[in-house]
This record gives sequence, C-alpha cells and structure tokens, in this order.
Amino acid sequence: MGHVERAARFVADPERTRWHDEALWHVRTRRDAAARLVPDWEDLREQAAAIKRHALGRLPELWQAFETNASRAGTIVHWARDAREHNEIVYRLLQERGIRRVVKSKSMLTEECGLNPHLGKRGIEIVDTDLGERIVQLRREAPSHIVMPAIHLRRREIGELFEREMGGPKGIDDPEALTALARRDLRARFLAAEAGLTGVNFAVAETGGFVVVTNEGNADLGTALPDLHIASVGLEKILPKQGDLAPFLRLLARSATGQAMTAYTSHFRGPRPPSPAAPPDRPGSDGRRDPELHIVIVDNGRSRLLGTPAFREALACIRCGACLNTCPVYRRSGGHSYEATIPGPIGSVLETARDSRTHAELPFACSLCGSCSEVCPVRIPLHRQLLAFRESISSDDPHRRLRRWGLDLLGRVMLRPAHYERLGRWGRAFARRLPGTWLEGLLGPWTRHRSLPTLPSRSFRELHRERVKARAAREDGR
Amino acid sequence: MNRARDDILARLDAARTPRVEPPRPPTAPPGMDDPPAFLRARLEEAGGRLQMAAARNWPDEIEWPLDRTAVRHLHSALPIVPSRGLGLDATTDRELDGLEICILRAEFAVAESGAVWQVPSSPRERVAALLAEHLIVVVDATEIVATLHHAYQRIDPARSAFGWFLCGPSKTADIEQSLVLGAHGPRTLDLIVTNA
Repeated sequence: MGHVERAARFVADPERTRWHDEALWHVRTRRDAAARLVPDWEDLREQAAAIKRHALGRLPELWQAFETNASRAGTIVHWARDAREHNEIVYRLLQERGIRRVVKSKSMLTEECGLNPHLGKRGIEIVDTDLGERIVQLRREAPSHIVMPAIHLRRREIGELFEREMGGPKGIDDPEALTALARRDLRARFLAAEAGLTGVNFAVAETGGFVVVTNEGNADLGTALPDLHIASVGLEKILPKQGDLAPFLRLLARSATGQAMTAYTSHFRGPRPPSPAAPPDRPGSDGRRDPELHIVIVDNGRSRLLGTPAFREALACIRCGACLNTCPVYRRSGGHSYEATIPGPIGSVLETARDSRTHAELPFACSLCGSCSEVCPVRIPLHRQLLAFRESISSDDPHRRLRRWGLDLLGRVMLRPAHYERLGRWGRAFARRLPGTWLEGLLGPWTRHRSLPTLPSRSFRELHRERVKARAAREDGR
Repeated sequence: MNRARDDILARLDAARTPRVEPPRPPTAPPGMDDPPAFLRARLEEAGGRLQMAAARNWPDEIEWPLDRTAVRHLHSALPIVPSRGLGLDATTDRELDGLEICILRAEFAVAESGAVWQVPSSPRERVAALLAEHLIVVVDATEIVATLHHAYQRIDPARSAFGWFLCGPSKTADIEQSLVLGAHGPRTLDLIVTNA
C-alpha cells in the first residue's frame, strides 16, 4: 500500500480530515503571529542556518570536545553506529542495574531506533510520558506528528481509550478531565520509575551539556526522581557554543506552536549531586545509589547523509514541525499516510535519503508549493530537495520505456497536421461514446479523481474554418 | 565500544563538508522599550501570572494561588516564607508528592520569552518545583533582560549540573489542541517581581 492508498483511508472520514486540516493551519497562524513579534526574525533564521552549516562541517571536532567536557562533568558517553547498538547500550545499562520500570519523554530518535519494542521484549516496562505519546502508545500506533503525536485523534476516541486503559468514567471526552486522568495515572509511574530516558534538543560542545525542552515537564519529572538518566542524541544535534542556544531557542517554540518559549527548557551538565537529605543508611535519593547521567551518541545513517551534498542541509533540522503544519498534503492526508518515523516534508526528505526504495513515493506527496521552505527556522530548502529526489527516482522509473514510446508517437503525430486533425476527429467521436468516468484510474492515482471535460463535437480548426466561410459568404452577399 | 566511537569519527571525517567559517557571534538584538510589560504579556500567554510587590513584604501583598492560611504543605527556598508540612518533613524526594506550593527564587527574567532562569539550590528543590500543585517564583525587578542572547551572557555553565528556563505552568494541548494547564507539574505559576 502506498502513500495515496493510506491517505485515502485517512480522508475516508471527511469530518476528521477537515478538523485536522484546520487545527494544523491554526497552529501555523499562531507561528506567524509569534514570529511577527520578533523584530530580527529573518536574521535569526539566517544565523541559525549559518551555525548549523558551520557545525555540520566540523562534527568530529565538536563531538570529541563534547565527549571531553561531558566526561569532565561526570557524564558517561556512549557511541552507537546504528539503532541496534543504541538499543543494546540502553538495555545493558538498565539490565546491569536490575531496572524494570522506565519512563521516557518524547524522543524521535528512540522512535527511529525502535527502542520501545526492544526493551518491551526483554521484560522492561517502558512508559511514554508525553501525553500525546502515551495516547498513541496505549493505542499501539506510531505518533502521527513530531510535536503533536496524537493530532490525528478526536477527543471521543481518547475518552474511550482512557475508559479502557485508565478506568476512566464512561463517555468522558472533556480534554481537561482526560488530562487530569492521565496526570494521576502517570504521576504514580513517575514516582515508581527507576530510570528516565530522554532525547536531546541541543548538545553543546563547549560545555559538554545538553538541553531538553518540554511543555508538560515530563522530561524533568522523569529525570529528577530516578537515579539513572539516559539521554539519546543524534549526531546532528551539536552546537559549538552555549551562546549558540539563544537563536535556536528563540526560533524553536515559536516555529513549533507559536509559543514564545516552552514551559521547561532544561540544561543538563553532569549527574545531579546525591540528595544530602537522605538518611545515612539509604544513600542516594531512593536509597540505592548515586545519580548517573549517560548519553548515547547515535549515527544510524546520519554520517552517510552528511556525505550526500544534496541532502546534507536536512541535517540542520531542529524538529519543530513547522513544515508539517503548513504542508497542504500533510494537513489533508495525516501523518500515518507517510508510514515513516518522521512524516511531512522533512520526513519525506530524511526518510527518502535513508531508504529511497521503500519511500520512493514520498517525494511525490508534495505540491511543490514551497511553504515548508518558507517557514523552516533553519532555512532547509525542503521543496527543492524533494524535487531533486523526484529527478533521481524518475531516472530509474520502470515505465520509462512506455513513456518514451508514447511521447515519440505524440511527436510524430504533432509534426503532421493532417494526421493530427484526423486522429483528433476520431478521438473525439470515440471519447464521446464512453462513460464520463472512463479516465478514472486508467493512468494510476493521478487520474483517480480527475475526468476530462466533455469534448466538443468539433475542433477549434473546424469551427474557425466554418466561421471564415460564413463571413466570406456574408461579404459575397452584399 | 570504542570501535563504534572510532568508526563514527572516521565516517564523519570521510563525509567532511567544505569548511564553513563560524558565523559572526550572535549579536544581541537591541533591547526593548518596556521589558516588564513585554514579560507580563508573554508570561500571561503562557498561562502564568505576573505580580509586582515590595521585596520586604511581598507575601502579604500578592494574591496567592490558594488561601494562604489553609496551606499545609509548602516548600520554600526563601526565608521570608518558612517551609511547612511535607516541605519540612519529607525524608525522600518522592515524599514531596502532595506538596501544595513551592516557592523559588529565579536569577533573572527574560522579557521576550516570558521566562525566568532558575538554578535549583539542590536536587530536592527541583523535585519540589515539579511535584507542587502551585509554583511561585520570585525575581528582582532589576533583573529583567531583554532576550535570550542577553540571558546566555549571564549564564555560567560550570556553576551547576542543572539549570532551567521556566515559562508558565506545566501544560499540554495534546488532546484536540485544547490547552490544559497542569499536565504533569504545577497547575499555576505566579511570577513575583519585587521592587526594593
């Protein structure tokens, strides 16, 4: 099943499609309003893009500096070439400490690596704590948006889910009440967790620290209590200096949701000191051990993308989701139609760059309107990259010979006006006898919802000839 | 595991892009006309509330999120309001669950972001700020900077293992985009801007 078929499933519910479209467009307008309040917005975008270009040009130095500075602060640094290594490192850290209960805040990288099933299969209970992520986790589906994971669902569906999974009252669908229910359920899980996993929004080479942002505070609750914090970070997330955070943090929340800033913007640098108030017979905050901070640096195809000049720029992405919110195709087809960890324009670029065979359709799920490139806070030329993908994918199109043959034939007919006219006459006569929907699906998805206009009985040339003849007759009559 | 490290660094080296000079250091954009007004507007958008009060007796001047006399469990980092209940007696951090109010001091506020920069004085203080139902943050009126550029000029990363910007209470809009305050952490945030 391709993007078109999956999108068809989404749009089969017109009410949901309309709501999805409007809700995301509303987020886009909030982004515009927030950007207008920042007088140097365009300078900020340029500055952020320049910092990323610079950083991506010296990743080896930056990560080595990060490693040195992080280790100095007491953070333990791990390296993972691919998803499997990442998952094994995380599992080993948990297993060595006998940990069974883990809370996780939103991290697209761990989604990409398939960490949850990996740990789940090995008997570790992993709870997603971002409300949207918890909802899709309980539904056993993937997030449909990178910032708003459950944007494809309506309140009633969430009510039914919570009724089943959290013992909520029947018919509950008020967002306030639903959130309160989840808060109570998750608070208990935070208090019981033995380790907290997070992603990383920005790592800073100069300090060996990193920043995690959330609105819910779930990354903080998940790491403030347990003694083990494991953060997973993709190779592209590093910035040289602490001061570089300023332009990115001014751009990030405004681009994502139209907020001036997220509620929590947490700066970690080394494990927290042991809690001094713990009684002497119970060292550590929960009586087990000193707090630990681990960070896993993950490649998983990123170095390959870096070596592809055309798509290197996509590594500048800060995962704000602005390109999803503005995309006319994403808004109307839903995130699941992309069947990719990251949907929307940036997902179509990253996933196709990773595996162009599986995702060959995604560059075509685009109207080339260019809105994504306009809103991107780090100025990734998304629509141009999608166009470049189309070119490289089309060059190994299996129907290439058929197309060539068709165009050759058309060329030959066009060169001979008499043939052209005769074929036109036959074609019109023939097509008028067919049902109006004859074109439907004939040439693939493109013609599925299109039909030709009713063909006239005579061509323009015929009409013109008659007109000239009629005028000549009139003039003769005078 | 060092094999992985060396492999990755080698791959990055092989994929090395043309060297791009670092951009000019972010120049702090010009300050704004009325930072406190900007701070108030952004904080209110984020679901928080700003109150001005005198440093000497702000606890008597402000409007409290709860009836102050009825509060049983309070953690305070400021001597002007003594901790009580769980804020005083909890032996482990987890026992702070049930805290009604947490009071913190912030180093400074960032007008353009509606946020404050806060460095918890202990891990427990951070837990209290997350588990309490209501958060009160106190900042000096002279300590308002215009933007995050100005903020980072003041932040010393070596000072502590943890620091955060706080902007309004914990919130979510994950259910049909409808904003709910108090997703996991505090349901309200009062920023008290104190004058000498």
